[in-house]
Formats: sequence, C-alpha cells, structure tokens
Amino acid sequence: MSATHLTESAAVPIARPNSLLALVRRRPELITLALLVAICVAVSIINPAFLQPSSLVDIGRASVVMGLFALGVFIILAAGGIDVSFTAIAAFTMYSMTLLVKNHWPDAPIALVLVAATAGGALLGVVNGLLVHYLRVPSLIVTIGTQYLFRGILLAFIGTVWIMSLPPTMGAFGRLPLFQFESADGRTITLPFYFLVLPAAALVTWWMLNRTLMGRAIFAIGGNANVAERLGYSLRTIHIFMFAYAGALAGLAGIIHTAANRQSNPFDLVGTEINVIAAVVLGGARITGGTGTVIGTLLGVLLVVVVNSVLVMVGIPSTWQRVVVGGFILLAAAFFVFCQKKN
Amino acid sequence: MGARSKKTLLSKKILLGSAMAVALVAGSAGALMAQGKPVIATVVKISGIPWFDRMETGVKQFQKDNPDVVATQYGPATADAAQQLQIVTDLIAKGVNGLAVVPMDPSVLEGTLKRAMDRGIIVVTHEADNQKNTHADVEAFDNADYGRALNARLAECMGGKGKWTTFVGSLGSRTHMQWVGAGEENAKKHPEMTLVDPNNESFDDANGTYEKAKEILRKHPDIKGFQTSAGNDVLGVGRAIDEAGLAGKVCLVGTGLPNPSADLLDAGAITAIGFWDPQKAGMAMNAVAKKLIAKEKVEDGANLGVPGYEKVKVTKGPGEGLLIIGNGMVIADKKNYKEFLF
Repeated sequence: MSATHLTESAAVPIARPNSLLALVRRRPELITLALLVAICVAVSIINPAFLQPSSLVDIGRASVVMGLFALGVFIILAAGGIDVSFTAIAAFTMYSMTLLVKNHWPDAPIALVLVAATAGGALLGVVNGLLVHYLRVPSLIVTIGTQYLFRGILLAFIGTVWIMSLPPTMGAFGRLPLFQFESADGRTITLPFYFLVLPAAALVTWWMLNRTLMGRAIFAIGGNANVAERLGYSLRTIHIFMFAYAGALAGLAGIIHTAANRQSNPFDLVGTEINVIAAVVLGGARITGGTGTVIGTLLGVLLVVVVNSVLVMVGIPSTWQRVVVGGFILLAAAFFVFCQKKN
Repeated sequence: MGARSKKTLLSKKILLGSAMAVALVAGSAGALMAQGKPVIATVVKISGIPWFDRMETGVKQFQKDNPDVVATQYGPATADAAQQLQIVTDLIAKGVNGLAVVPMDPSVLEGTLKRAMDRGIIVVTHEADNQKNTHADVEAFDNADYGRALNARLAECMGGKGKWTTFVGSLGSRTHMQWVGAGEENAKKHPEMTLVDPNNESFDDANGTYEKAKEILRKHPDIKGFQTSAGNDVLGVGRAIDEAGLAGKVCLVGTGLPNPSADLLDAGAITAIGFWDPQKAGMAMNAVAKKLIAKEKVEDGANLGVPGYEKVKVTKGPGEGLLIIGNGMVIADKKNYKEFLF
C-alpha cells in the first residue's frame, strides 16, 4: 500500500544501517501487528481456553461495526481532518431506516435497506463536507456541531422509543449465518453473514485510496492542503467526497449494528467515537494526516477489540478492567510514538 | 490543526454537551414555575429507555391525579452521573419545591442534594438507600429480600449446583451491588454452587453485555447460571445464551421488563425476570414529596395511595431522612409474564 509514499523516498537511504527500523518506518502497522500477536500469545499462556475457534469468531463479529467506522475515520484522518459525528450519523440512519421500514414497508428486501442506509449516511456526510468546505472551519469543530445536530434531530423529531422487534427481513439478516459449527461441548458457534461486509468495505477503501486519483488527492491534501490546491486538486470535491464516504460507511455500520443487536436504540453508539479514533491511530495513521494504511487500520481495530474482549479471559477483576484498558492504550500509543521518533 | 488543540477541543465538546442539556432543562423548568403551584421535578438515570419511560407514565398519572402540583420528569440522554448532576444543579437553581431523584451514583449527588435541602427543597430519592442527604428514600422493596429472591429462583433452576456469575450496571451502583451481595449470601445455602468472575459491569448496554457473556461462556463452558441486575442485562446475556443454543440449559435470572424480554422468555433463554413497576415507584416518590412539601409526616404503616405502597415500612435512613420501603416485588417467568406486560 502506497499510503506512506510522501515520506518513503527520504526514508530508505537513511535507515539502511538498521533495516528493521527502516521496515517499521515504512510499515508502521507492523508495530500494531507485533502488539496484537504479543497480546494473543500472552493471553493464550495465561488461559489456554482462549485458543479455540469461538474466540476468533467472536472477535471477528465484534470488529465489524467498529471496523466500518474506523475505515471512515481513517479516510478523514489521512486527509488531515477528523470526524466525531460518525456515531451520530449511524444512530440517525439506523433508527430512521428501521422505523421507516417497520411502518411502511415491513417486507423490504434487505439489500435495498442496506443501500438506502448507506445512501442516507452519505447524505449526512455531504452536510459535513459542505460545512467544512464553506465555513473554512476545522473539521473537528464542524463534526462536533453536526454530532449534536444529527442526534438532536433524531431524538427530538424522529423518536426516543426503542424498537425491540425489528422488521422480519432485518432480523433475518442479523441471524443469517456465514458458517456455523458445534463446539466440542455442544454449543453452536456462528459467524454471521454480515461479517463479509467488513472485508468488502476494506477492499473498496483500499482500491479507492491506492488505485484512484481521489485516493492520491486525499493523501495529498493530508500532506499539505495548500500545495495540493496549487497542484490543481479541487478541495471542494475532495471534502465532499471524503465526508460522504465516511458517512456512507457509518450508515452501513449503523444498520448492521441494529440487525446484529436485534433492537434499534436511538441512544446507542454515540460516545464510542474515542475508541474508534484510538483504533485508527493505533493502526499507524498519524493524527496530523497524510499517512496510514487500510490494513493498519484493521489491525488497530483488532487490537482494541481483542484488548476489550480478553479481560475476563485473563481473570482481571471487573474493578480493574477500565484501568487496564486505559493503561494499555496509553502504553501502546507511547510505544508507537517512540518507534516513529526513533526513525 | 495540531494534536494538542484537538485534545482541548474534545474536552470542550463535553462541556458544550452539558451546557446544552442544562439550557434545555432551564427553559422548560422556568415555564413551569410561572404557575405558582408546588413544582416536583423527577430526575431519572437516563431518559428514553423503557424502564424510565414507564416511570414517566407514573409521573404523568400523578400529575393527572394531583392537579394542585406540577410534576414533570427529566433525565440525561446517556447513563452518566456527571450529566445527571448538571440537571439536578440546574433544577435547584431554578428553585423547584421538590426533587425526586433516581441517582446514577448516590455519592456524586451528596453535596448537591445537601445544597438543595439547605435551600428548603424537599429531596426524595429512589434506588439509593445509602443516600445521606435526602428527606426520604423510597424503595420498592427490601433490596436484600429482592437479591435473595432472584438467587433463590436461580438456585431452583440450577438444581442447587454448578458455576454461576453476576452482572451489575456499574460497580458504583449501590442497589445492584446489594442484590448480587444478597444473592451470594443466599447461594451459600447451596455448597455446590460456585461463584466465578463476579460483578461484571454491563453499563446497561445490551450489546456490551452480550459480548461479555460470550466471553464468560467461553472461559467457563460448564457455567450454569447468570444473575443480572441492570434492565438490559437479561437481553444481552439472553441473546448470548439463545445464540449458543443453550436456552434451557443455562439459567438466567435478573432484573428486566416484561415487554422487551418476552421473546427470550418464550425461547427459554431467560429463566425469570424480577422487577418492580417503575410507574408505581415514580408515583410513590412524588406522593412522598407532595406530603413532605405540605409538611405532613410519613409514618410506619402509612398508605401512599399507590398499589404496592399501601402499608410502607418506615425506618431511619443513613442520614437525617427516612427510609420508606414498600412491597412491590414481582418475579415473573414464561408462565405468568403476560400478566405484567409493559
């Protein structure tokens, strides 16, 4: 992946004396991978019960929604911006879509529901993009505003009552297995079909970033917006596109969250954005923009999901769990910065 | 924009959020004050979830039955003690006559409730029998009795043996800790019941609880029972049990509402749910607040005029105030939950 191409040319000759560091510099996601492997090995030693297929299935399933969010955040981060409104976009689209389908077209085909939610999310993203471009205000400020705006409109005008029984097609989608097997002790382990959405979205994002002019433009304005503009990139098109793209992923994530959870809760999701941003940064994207890879982002997501889902496994009492998660994120981030500076 | 300014802005965002919530409360409370009747504000842990929506129907019913007071309900949009504190602070500043609070975390509210009492505001709490600064704490039932009853039902389902674990909304949630504490005491009657990895925090989030329950099922493949506390816990744990094909093999008893739990009760993934009717609790809190505002006394055996609270037990609370305990416990299973649909 050519995400680091801005610094690559300078890096290679200097780093020759220590090829390992050079490799880490070109591929910061290797640090994430190393951390991930280290945790899994440590957990398996502490509790060998971790080593069973159901762990992998559970981690895979828990990564889908966070992974979709993270891909969107990564695009914005690569362009030097930041987005905190994606959870509100997801909550807005998932709840409105569920309500719409339930009340007006209970048998709507699931493919249509997914496409409509994605389009709805993209539309809200366009609002972000237009505001960022025309107000000339940093995207953090704009998206803080729109997070409250989208959520406020949702709770004030659309509804606050939880939908406990989903329209049948959505419920069936949430339960549709990709594969299913019985574990040795007779319990059913299911990897849901919706898991496939994450690798598909990752592939599309990778293709967009590395094989299209738009991807080049996103990294270019993340590197230096003024230079990029003088080079002839249209900032307006890029801003609108990237926020629409992040919004679309958020809309898709929202509807999957609802289908998987078998309920639509309008208060859901908002408040989890810090976890997602942490995952993207732990995946090697710099918060100042211009760098990062899709694979790194996915590894960052896996890292956060794994840390959150092995606490009981390694026997950390519930009083200590938050301390451990916080400490771990700090340590990992510090390690990351240290490795990057070293280079 | 540098990384540092982004961090400052994130904390500003939180401030901005609280400020907006307060501004909303301030506006509506101001309008109510104008009518010149005693104003009783009910503040819940989180608004919009079925449990507190049901409580709101009680507050509205109380308002209908008592046109000589103004009774309304407020609550933060997320289960966050700091946001609830903001709302209470603002209602005090607006000068309501009575506060009926369901504290997210009683210790966070102590100082603020004391200020309210110093200003002559009547403070009534619920689900907080350790709250020192309150005129009266209203409990639907004795918490230890409830915890024991849940555990007795769980032990019955487990046949008195096997591994079991507990969930609480948060470790700071006093009633939840009392329920699981009393449950643990009760389980000692059954020496073959082993408690493993207790007091998992659910934060009342069904999805998070689901993931955690999955992890527990993996770590302890032979687990036989779950005792849960927050209203959404049975939904998360129930879904994990249902999906693993363990309905009827693993027992789950916890606090929950009949309507949302209906499917999982029918599927056998939830053994039984325990609850009290938040509607009645909301009415009882407001009834006590109204009596105290009118300088009436609430004595042992008093009738609050609310079903389940016709003959309340009144003792001295941990502070200066009263501890008022009703008899509103319900434990429902597959056979009888339909009698309580809400």
